[in-house]
Amino acid sequence: MTRHLLRLIWNRKRQNFLLTVEIFFSFLTLFGVVLIGMQYANNARHPVGYQIARVWSIGVDRKEPAGDPAVRARHRETYDQLVRALSDMPEIEVVAAGFTGPYSNSNWGSGTDLTGGRSVNFGVNSVTDGYRDLFDIPIAEGRWFSREDDAATWKPVVINRRLAREIFGEGTAVGQIIPEAPDRDNPPPDPAAAAKRQSKRVVGVIDEFRQDGELSAPQNYLFYRMRLDYEDPEANLPERILVRLAPGTPASFEESLVKRAMAVAGAWSFEVQAVEDMRTDKLRSYTTPLMVVGTIAGFLLLMVGLGLTGVVWQSVTQRIREFGLRRAKGATIPNVRTQVLSEILIMTSLAVIAAVVLLAQVPLLPLPRDLTGIPASVFIASIAVTVIAIYVLTLACGWQPSRLATRIQPAEALHYE
Amino acid sequence: MVRHYFVLAVKVLLRRKFFTFISLFGISFTLLVLTVVAAFFDHAFGPGQEEPRQNRTLYAERTLMHGPHSTSGSSGGFKLFDQYARDLPGLERLSLHENGHTVHTYLDGRKISSSLKRTDDEYWRILEFRFVEGTSFGTADVAEARFVAVINVATRDRIFGGQPALGQTFEADGQRFRVIGVVENVSSLRTVPYADIWVPYTTAKTDAFKREITGDWNAMALAKDTASMAAIHEEFNSRLLRVELPDPKEYKALVAPFETRLATFAREMPLTDRKDPESQVWRFVGLLTLLGLLFVLVPAVNLVNINISRIMERASEIGVRKAFGAPARTLVGQFLVENILLTLIGGAVGFVLSIFVLQAITDSGLFTYARFTINLRVFGWGMAFAVLFGLISGVYPAWRMSRLNPVQALKGGSR
Repeated sequence: MTRHLLRLIWNRKRQNFLLTVEIFFSFLTLFGVVLIGMQYANNARHPVGYQIARVWSIGVDRKEPAGDPAVRARHRETYDQLVRALSDMPEIEVVAAGFTGPYSNSNWGSGTDLTGGRSVNFGVNSVTDGYRDLFDIPIAEGRWFSREDDAATWKPVVINRRLAREIFGEGTAVGQIIPEAPDRDNPPPDPAAAAKRQSKRVVGVIDEFRQDGELSAPQNYLFYRMRLDYEDPEANLPERILVRLAPGTPASFEESLVKRAMAVAGAWSFEVQAVEDMRTDKLRSYTTPLMVVGTIAGFLLLMVGLGLTGVVWQSVTQRIREFGLRRAKGATIPNVRTQVLSEILIMTSLAVIAAVVLLAQVPLLPLPRDLTGIPASVFIASIAVTVIAIYVLTLACGWQPSRLATRIQPAEALHYE
Repeated sequence: MVRHYFVLAVKVLLRRKFFTFISLFGISFTLLVLTVVAAFFDHAFGPGQEEPRQNRTLYAERTLMHGPHSTSGSSGGFKLFDQYARDLPGLERLSLHENGHTVHTYLDGRKISSSLKRTDDEYWRILEFRFVEGTSFGTADVAEARFVAVINVATRDRIFGGQPALGQTFEADGQRFRVIGVVENVSSLRTVPYADIWVPYTTAKTDAFKREITGDWNAMALAKDTASMAAIHEEFNSRLLRVELPDPKEYKALVAPFETRLATFAREMPLTDRKDPESQVWRFVGLLTLLGLLFVLVPAVNLVNINISRIMERASEIGVRKAFGAPARTLVGQFLVENILLTLIGGAVGFVLSIFVLQAITDSGLFTYARFTINLRVFGWGMAFAVLFGLISGVYPAWRMSRLNPVQALKGGSR
């Protein structure tokens, strides 16, 4: 039976080829949208690792580059005064400063070569001691930064569990030094001293810190400790100050907050935003493109569906004699119907196989892992969903024409000949 | 003869309404999307109200510093342009303006956020704003650092409740400005003229920016004529070699080209080679064309399928024509005319739909102050897309049609 159907399809190869091509491209289009959607859904299942209720983010524009050490020191002192001044306000529970924060558009990424030839990439942030309390970040192992680290001769870091596992495997990470290969391109003048000072020592491991929020792919993350009361020429200055308000503080508090900040640093500009609002914007930046692409893909599929219906319809009317002959020779209505639908199924299968074979090459491409970032399970699940959707679509398109084929009376059909 | 084709085409289209509907649906949707994209493109890059001299204006908005280990990108610094670009040959005017910054005004417990741009006086001579009240600030205002501001209508509504604002003062980012002009809103997609509030750059809180090679500044150069544009670009590039870089250990080369609006945008796109600014516009246009072709592929194959179905249905008509000696060329011509007629009808439907879609996008407020409209240029693009689409989707079916065997066709069909 299948061989017979294949021969029938082969006999109409030109037209069927174009149909298959159309289904093939529809598959790829749908797959793209499904993949992004599934990736978002998968990402959203995992916790982000922080709480943002009542937290405001104050972006700071210092209006002056801090390349000059004197300017730098002055800026750092101003920051220190700012944080103290804001802490004294009764409406504010906790104040912290950092390079970046949740849902912010500024990212800092870094990578390091481990001894042994492996390399890891991670998101980086540099924050003051109050940061953990402010966002209520759960500690999985060890501790957060504290005054204990003031006398440290190494760089204390806190990393997330994912990064800990990537560097240290299943063993404990706390107290370990991240084993970095020396930078061959840029050797430090005094290797021994530099190595000692540069080495990053893990003081704590947190569950997670997904800076870009719930729809972003989980990533490796590393926190450096930032101090405002001590001049370290290698450390970063904060770019934003974060405050958590006391419950019940009205939105109009923003004006007094900015006035207070201006009183300390009149030459600087401050941009206050509730982190909740930043979250809304950030999520929209993920969903809006998907919605636009999804709408267009939806219309494309509708168009393909209608086109397919029309073509199958036309081919059924053209083959009235063939079906009439089959009916006259004793084929039942379901037999004829099965024939029409099977032909569509075979063509769909050809297109689907071609598309899946093509997509199976993607994981084999030498793409950087950060770029793909899509787990195999999501990739495979997306293929499965797309395959099902395409079969449903093509069968639905063949349904009405196949009814038409069975409504033909054998006598009437043969009458043409 | 063509008139005869038209009559025939209309008759055929009306005979099979379902097919015609499917074809028109596909065509109008495809052309709707293409027209909306063209309207966006025209809105962002076409000659606009505020930038009538865009065809002889060059912009320096992105600088890159390259070193052996790192690359750093930002806007240029005030000093870079002030020191090296003022006396470029072929230059009619040069304007330096800072990137827009969000500033806040607190009014009776309400927060009003606006985009504030610090500019020089030349900015107002290169660009053409529509003033509702007052006028722009001039050379003296900038030189004496007067706290004067031009605001747009939206800001006037927000801060002054829509009342005439001339001479009134308001506070923004802790500074108090006096309104000397009110202009119509400018779309946020026109990045150079867009802002809510414009003030003299000399009112900045510090003058640290005057010593920066890279920073937060953009330059806009109006060339004497289009012929001098290349010279400006070349001369500035060669002067960049003399610039003393702020961190010579880390960075060895500075790239800060004066380029056209489109090139500035193209350089930010993925898949472009940032170090070679010359090839980027072409790459960008090529990339867009490729994406457009990929997008058109599915509807085109769909239309080809439907067209072939329609031809097969008319096999006996074609058989008769062939039997009476119609050459293949004529049949191909007839079918192409039919198909282009169909795509033009679909294009017209899509065009009308795109007016509604653009209105909806405008109303959504997704792009601040942007008013997407259909103008003659976009209309031309839409028509060009429609004819091109008609040709792409018509050639293969027409060829198939011309190759039908007359005997088979007369019998009423073929495989």
